[in-house]
Amino acid sequence: MNDHEAIRQILSLAAAGALEPGVEQKVAAHVKSCGECAAELEEWRLLAGELRRLPTPQPPAILVERARARAEAKLAEEEEYRWQRGVMIFVVAFAWVLTLMSWPFVRLVSRGLLGMLDPRLNQAWIGFAAFTTIVWLAGGTAAVLLSLRQRRERSLA
Amino acid sequence: MGPESEVARLRRGDMDALTVLISRYQNRLYRYLLRLVREPAEAEDLFQQTWLRVAEKIRGFDPSRNFDAWLFIVARNLAIDRLRRIQPESLDEPISGDASGGTAADRLTSKEPAAIDHVLERERSNRLAAALITLPVVYREVLTLRFEEEMKLEEIAQVLGVPLSTVKSRLRRSLEQLRHCLEPRHPGESWQ
Repeated sequence: MNDHEAIRQILSLAAAGALEPGVEQKVAAHVKSCGECAAELEEWRLLAGELRRLPTPQPPAILVERARARAEAKLAEEEEYRWQRGVMIFVVAFAWVLTLMSWPFVRLVSRGLLGMLDPRLNQAWIGFAAFTTIVWLAGGTAAVLLSLRQRRERSLA
Repeated sequence: MGPESEVARLRRGDMDALTVLISRYQNRLYRYLLRLVREPAEAEDLFQQTWLRVAEKIRGFDPSRNFDAWLFIVARNLAIDRLRRIQPESLDEPISGDASGGTAADRLTSKEPAAIDHVLERERSNRLAAALITLPVVYREVLTLRFEEEMKLEEIAQVLGVPLSTVKSRLRRSLEQLRHCLEPRHPGESWQ
């Protein structure tokens, strides 16, 4: 393919402003000396100009208003979800801290200060561990059920 | 001035920023969606879906990125999903039909040159718009992004998720195909 043919192939890109500066200069130099390519480039430029001047379709005002209202509602819903998640994380962390702190406290009350120093795994510790597990399982199940219900309600809304 | 401040406010949950962004992008976004899906009803639904998705995902938006490109990527993904559902067999095939559109002879009633020029210009635009919608979606979108949205090639590559070289080749082919659609059907006729 000679220079003329190669440049002719990219005249449309030249009209679209899609050539690198070096190539664009090469095209400009060729077009100055080649009437055929100059005419062809002019045709492409006319087409590009027409494309740029195509009328812009306007969205109906009611559509824009509806989209805004729905997006606002979604944004509020997302905010609420984020807040609820934050509260849930705080409550879970607080509950764990409270539970763990209650073990030595109850042990202190039931067996006195010296009982705290007893490292053996006795019945009181096992009882506490079982109690904590049962309470957390019950709490976890309730939380999952509540979350599923909330999700169902949200999808129905 | 760019939309950075509105985007930052929207990420903090400011509803007024959403209103500003919607009014700023409403015409461009609707035009882009209409060029992709061609049907106003589909474009209207996608317009709403796009803003819903923006409200849902804006917290995860990286402010160092270009918001225009991100918005158009969101819209494009929704539109492509919709096109796959409604015409799964041929996303790249042109639709059949006459690109030349109807005649304006009956509208050329005024003798004033300005009025005639206006009608002729509108007629050319109509022909061009009619030819544009006959192109495959991959060509329509690259043309609208380049010439109507006036995006840089790098931005177009970002929106389409393709290399720069692919953008250039699509741009060249789309212009060639568009011009082919506008070629005069009769001797002596010109699309211009």
